Amino acid sequence: MIVVDVLAGGVRGGTAILYAALGETLAERAGVINLGTEGSMLTGALAAYAVAAGTGDPWAGVLAGALAGALLAAVHAFMVLARGANQLATGLVVLFLGAGLTAMFGAAYVGRAISPFQPYPIPGLSEIPWAGPILFDHDPLVYASYLLAPTLWWLLHRSRAGLVVRSAGERPAVLATYGHSPMLVRYLAVVGGGLLAGIGGAHLSTAYANAWFENMTAGRGFIAVALVIFAAWHPLRAVGGAYLFGAALALSPALQARGYGFNQFALDALPYLVTIAALIVLGRRQVNAAPEDLSRVFQLTPTR
Amino acid sequence: MTDTALKPADVRPETVDNRRKAWPRWVAAIVAAPAIFGAFAAVKGVNPLAMYADMLTSLTDPTQAQTVVVRAAILLLAGLAVAVPARAGLLNVGGEGQIVIGAVAAAGVALVTDQRLPGSVVLVLMVVAAMVAGAAWAGIAIGLRLAVNVNEAISTLLLNFVAIDIMLGLIYDPWKDASGFGQPSSRPLEETARLPLFTTGGTVNVGIVLAVLALAGVWFAMRRTAWGFRLRVVGGNPEAARQGGLRVGPLLLSAMLVGGALAGLAGLVHFAGTEFKLRPGMTTSFGYVGFLASWLAMHQPLRVALAALLLAAIAMGGDSLQIDSGLPAASLNVLMAVVLLVVLGIRRKS
Repeated sequence: MIVVDVLAGGVRGGTAILYAALGETLAERAGVINLGTEGSMLTGALAAYAVAAGTGDPWAGVLAGALAGALLAAVHAFMVLARGANQLATGLVVLFLGAGLTAMFGAAYVGRAISPFQPYPIPGLSEIPWAGPILFDHDPLVYASYLLAPTLWWLLHRSRAGLVVRSAGERPAVLATYGHSPMLVRYLAVVGGGLLAGIGGAHLSTAYANAWFENMTAGRGFIAVALVIFAAWHPLRAVGGAYLFGAALALSPALQARGYGFNQFALDALPYLVTIAALIVLGRRQVNAAPEDLSRVFQLTPTR
Repeated sequence: MTDTALKPADVRPETVDNRRKAWPRWVAAIVAAPAIFGAFAAVKGVNPLAMYADMLTSLTDPTQAQTVVVRAAILLLAGLAVAVPARAGLLNVGGEGQIVIGAVAAAGVALVTDQRLPGSVVLVLMVVAAMVAGAAWAGIAIGLRLAVNVNEAISTLLLNFVAIDIMLGLIYDPWKDASGFGQPSSRPLEETARLPLFTTGGTVNVGIVLAVLALAGVWFAMRRTAWGFRLRVVGGNPEAARQGGLRVGPLLLSAMLVGGALAGLAGLVHFAGTEFKLRPGMTTSFGYVGFLASWLAMHQPLRVALAALLLAAIAMGGDSLQIDSGLPAASLNVLMAVVLLVVLGIRRKS
């Protein structure tokens, strides 16, 4: 069934993007955009692969990937928060840093074999027609992401800590009045975002591609940043968006496997075009949904 | 601004005159960045001193020095493509896509005409096509910004990937060179339509002249014309600009279109000066490096030229790194990133 294949592939391929997008949601809710998400994914992917190759345990790899992603995001946080550097420019620089470091230290791991995550069909649930193979026949990191998205939603929108994070993104001055440090909140949010992006990268190298190669994230970090806007800074909407992107990525191999002569690159461009279309349609709502202090990063000039 | 508890990043273009304080930043960047990159290289078991000696030696080699000039021309154009919109407060992250589309347009013109028309005519047509295409690609983003308020930093970034997919889609199928040994690429440009070289056997092409002309043009437009002044007013204080009766929309549009045209020209220079055919990965991040060059230079045209030269030299070092030290060429991204981090970090602690 091509539909099942594409949707199952969408979930599998969208998971790395989902982790990164959830992390970026956290950071942007606190008022910091991190274009270096792509870099955090790359360092996460390499660190996870290297540690998985060294220890034989993909879980140790995920831990390393999370730390590496967090470490790179910490560079972004320091530059932006302590040094007042431009968020977008710094994000790109951090991406270059991640790309360079992983090229430098990753060359030794190209072509090395690891014992990757194995799919673990959930007994009973995976037998359900349609939904079973789409949702319940995946590796553990995919299942973990099912829990992560609602958890993040609950934390951001229903818990006191989430209120503090969102206040840092909306009105940091008010937060400061209540005795919290917006600076500290933002540090934690950006580093936490990098941590999740690192796990996303780890999923890519130790569960999805089961390989490391230079620049293997191929723009997924940028998709994640766009997705956050697409989802209007809402963790649950990010889930749908991530799987949509994943499905677009899975569609072309699925079509080709069945002998349809489709131009693969038209399909590859689809996620980006869908995002742009969504930005157009949601244009007005976006402006209202954006964390207020974050929108200052974007809204440099009036439109007319 | 109600925000007194923390000082957020101020994203407007630099207006503070910190010329007097510029030198410690440069000294720090020049000392700190190689030290940090050297430490990473040492971890990889490469002797940093020998590595830097190799890199500097390679720059004195005439062939390599020429390559630096060739790359600097493209980076200068890519940097100006960011600097002009930045003057109006616009973030053009889409240089990469505009370069690719410029190269695609030039290649399209070449495929149709280069075996029928004289080389110089083909070249002129390619320049026009590349600049129009680059401007149009940037025009999508600014159009969306003005019409439905889609942020241009996000849309230009996304359009980069679309542009690359368009190029790949073309060279994997309709424009694929049948005699390309199975490698996906377009047919090579006829020799007559290539950018002329300064010395026979050398690699420096007329692209550097085009880039310097563009630099002079941008400098003059920014410093000496009403348009440049208005752009700066809009970028400095858009509300004041509007109150002062400036038509902000058309100014933003023109700034972005000029930026896109410059990036398109960069695509032409790369295509007709160095590559001669479209192939995957041909742009090697020129657009993004150009973005960083412009930020490094605080969007000042003349400094963009210096930054472009510096970054081109660093990139050149990457090639020698691969040969002499066995590190991947992309490792040099680390050195470039650290230079930029030091500069961005030292610049302002207001």
